[in-house]
Amino acid sequence: MSAAETRSGSTEEKSDKWLDAYRDPVASLYTFTQCITLADIQADGDWKLIIADLGTGMFNMKLKVYKGTNLMSENTIIDLPTGVVTFYMDLNEPRTPAIAVASGPYIYIYKNLRPYFKFTLPQIEVNAVEEDLWNQMKESSLNVYVLREMLEGMRADGTPLTVRSLRFLQLQDGADMVAFAEMYKNTPLKKQTVITCLGTMKKSMAEEDAISCLIIGTESKCIYVLDPEAFTVLATMPLPIVPVFLSVTGMFDVEYRIVASCRNGCIYTLKRGTTDTEKSFIELNSQPVGLERIGKTIYVGCMDETLQCFTSKGKKLWTVQVPASITTIEVLDYKTKGFKAVLVALSNCEVHLYKEKYLVDIIKTDSVVTGMRFGRFGREEGALIMTTRGGGLIIKILKRNVVFEERDLTGGPPAAQNVKLNIPKKTKLFVDQTMRERENAVAMHRTFQRDLYLLRLRAAREYAKALDKSMNPISSDPTEPLKLAAQVQGIGPVFKMTVNLQNTSLSQASVNLLITFDFDDKLYNFKKTYIPVPMLVPGLNYAFETFIECLSDKGVSDNVKVYVLKEGKNIPIITGVISMPVSETLVVV
Amino acid sequence: MGLFDGLARWLGIKKKEANVLVVGLDNSGKTTIINHFKSEEYKNHDIVPTIGFQVEKFKTKSLSFTAFDMSGQGRYRDLWQAYYRECHGVIFVIDSSDKLRIVVAKDELDALLKHPEVQRKRIPILFFANKMDLRDAVSSVKCSQLMELENIRDKAWHICASNAITGDGLDEGIQWLTDQLKDVLVKK
Ligand SMILES: Nc1nc2c(ncn2[C@@H]2O[C@H](COP(=O)(O)OP(=O)(O)O)[C@@H](O)[C@H]2O)c(=O)[nH]1
Ligand SMILES: [Mg+2]
Repeated sequence: MSAAETRSGSTEEKSDKWLDAYRDPVASLYTFTQCITLADIQADGDWKLIIADLGTGMFNMKLKVYKGTNLMSENTIIDLPTGVVTFYMDLNEPRTPAIAVASGPYIYIYKNLRPYFKFTLPQIEVNAVEEDLWNQMKESSLNVYVLREMLEGMRADGTPLTVRSLRFLQLQDGADMVAFAEMYKNTPLKKQTVITCLGTMKKSMAEEDAISCLIIGTESKCIYVLDPEAFTVLATMPLPIVPVFLSVTGMFDVEYRIVASCRNGCIYTLKRGTTDTEKSFIELNSQPVGLERIGKTIYVGCMDETLQCFTSKGKKLWTVQVPASITTIEVLDYKTKGFKAVLVALSNCEVHLYKEKYLVDIIKTDSVVTGMRFGRFGREEGALIMTTRGGGLIIKILKRNVVFEERDLTGGPPAAQNVKLNIPKKTKLFVDQTMRERENAVAMHRTFQRDLYLLRLRAAREYAKALDKSMNPISSDPTEPLKLAAQVQGIGPVFKMTVNLQNTSLSQASVNLLITFDFDDKLYNFKKTYIPVPMLVPGLNYAFETFIECLSDKGVSDNVKVYVLKEGKNIPIITGVISMPVSETLVVV
Repeated sequence: MGLFDGLARWLGIKKKEANVLVVGLDNSGKTTIINHFKSEEYKNHDIVPTIGFQVEKFKTKSLSFTAFDMSGQGRYRDLWQAYYRECHGVIFVIDSSDKLRIVVAKDELDALLKHPEVQRKRIPILFFANKMDLRDAVSSVKCSQLMELENIRDKAWHICASNAITGDGLDEGIQWLTDQLKDVLVKK
């Protein structure tokens, strides 16, 4: 047990769950999860890896197709890709799916690894003022600086501008501005949106190779459903904000559900026939970095280092804290074993596997994983493709007989909690007692109630008596508000008693008071048994002292009472009871 | 072994019989290899993926083989071990062009070697680094390195690059296996 543990702990590579099929730390692949997919694009049972490589972000953007570990095809992409999917667009045999690459306002379709079609998203209406400005520019009635100022103003007002205007505003140099305006002023002003996310949805059949529609999320806060055969827009669904991640299930002609997480940190659900998308359905407390769905549960990785899980109705099921920030998430769906879990790539070079909220596996990598895809690759069912921040490519294969302990690797109740305690059998006494209690429950309850009432009555009586005799150290007489505190000092046989008196009223002085004591005169001898009290000014503390001598050397002690009396009244105003300490016997030397 | 069998063998009338287990991942070329050794009339011209397993018989000059052609598909690989007890030798076929899955083949080989029925036996293992004709194929040396064959110490083993379609390399491998099996069967 411990040996196995140390082995798996020390060598990060030797996992008992994954085989290391391939690792190229310098594959120079710069991509992310949405741009990686796996498909049998040649219908030969050998699934290919399809990656839209972002290159440097300006140059070298390519659509790469890998057969096993070999690059089999490369196609240049003109603009930054934002998503790659494969889908069946016809019923032709052999059943080869097409590849769709989203880039700018276009969808590029590839069939048999060759460019096949380019679809352009519908144009958006250009702002009238902006159009007018450029028209004036065309007629040369406008100065570039004026144009700049006007456009600047529009941008400040939050008017969405065309790409041309935005590019123009970036120019600093006057000559550049003139050149730019000269170059473009004669071409009509167009406004195009940019695709932010891409998905697929079966059209009317559920089969694995049924024809699918493309689902496109755009910067213009819309989701489009595209017909795969005619390339027409089947449906346009407006959203309150720009969608960034999509999760699509169902069939367009039957029933479907599109879950979109958006830039405002909210998740919206679109169903067949929904019109009101405004009603936010899940509001996250942090921006999402990945959205996945397993069955009816929605998993969201958030920027606050949490993985959150929701029902399809938007009810939060749980949140787990992960040890580092999440870079991307992906579903692990191992069909042969019916095992589904969520892979969470973290910025600490680890990929955590969560089965529901339980961490069941950790994969360590040598660089931060930024893109992941799990699925069939080559002829292998459980392949995990990972691309790293440094441009590396890692491929792992799930072992055939893998078992994931469906319990948390960390935390959770300790094993000892499940060990049964050796509880002794019930004794006869216990059983008898239980029987008796069961049979006489009413009588017992009554007895208890009666005793309780008696106790309360007694307490009340004592309290009344104490009030009556003023046997408490705070006066209950409203005309003489006094507080008494007495203490005894010394070790004997002579003690000093200090009686502190305080007039607790706000304004009224106390007069004609005196202090006297009640004690056993066989035991104690008081130096003063009667202390006249001067007028007590409100709020001040007065101390009166007397010495007490203990007459016994038997080590006994008794209570002593302090009374504060008012002249002409036979009931003390207050009484203090002091229990005297035992006197030390005189040491005769 | 019956008296008559022994007599017949002594007289050289009957060939020795050997059971060999043919294993390897799906699509590595196992069925194609066995097909190569079958006589013309039994040859299969249309090879489809094997389901479960198939039993085939073929003869070489000095041995008659009963080959258990096992399916290499993941869900059937657990069947292999059921035949470890009966087999005298193993043919392990590797698709040398499927670099991605060499680790999977190695994992299955490790499991085979660790199996108690295999461990307690002295069986020869013949590896075919098949599909050597393909452009992506790795050499048999590289293949044996990736499979870490040098770590097999208590079994006789041999690796041949092969092309099951043309038959290149197959006879060399079977010759080695025949020599090994004759040893084993004689000592029995
Ligand atoms: N190019 C080439 N193809 C081969 C070779 N051996 C087998 N194949 C092909 O590989 C595929 C799978 O072969 P098969 O014998 O069914 O593999 P099995 O699953 O291991 O039984 C078939 O299409 C064969 O034609 C070979 O040496 N070279
Ligand atoms: Mg076969």
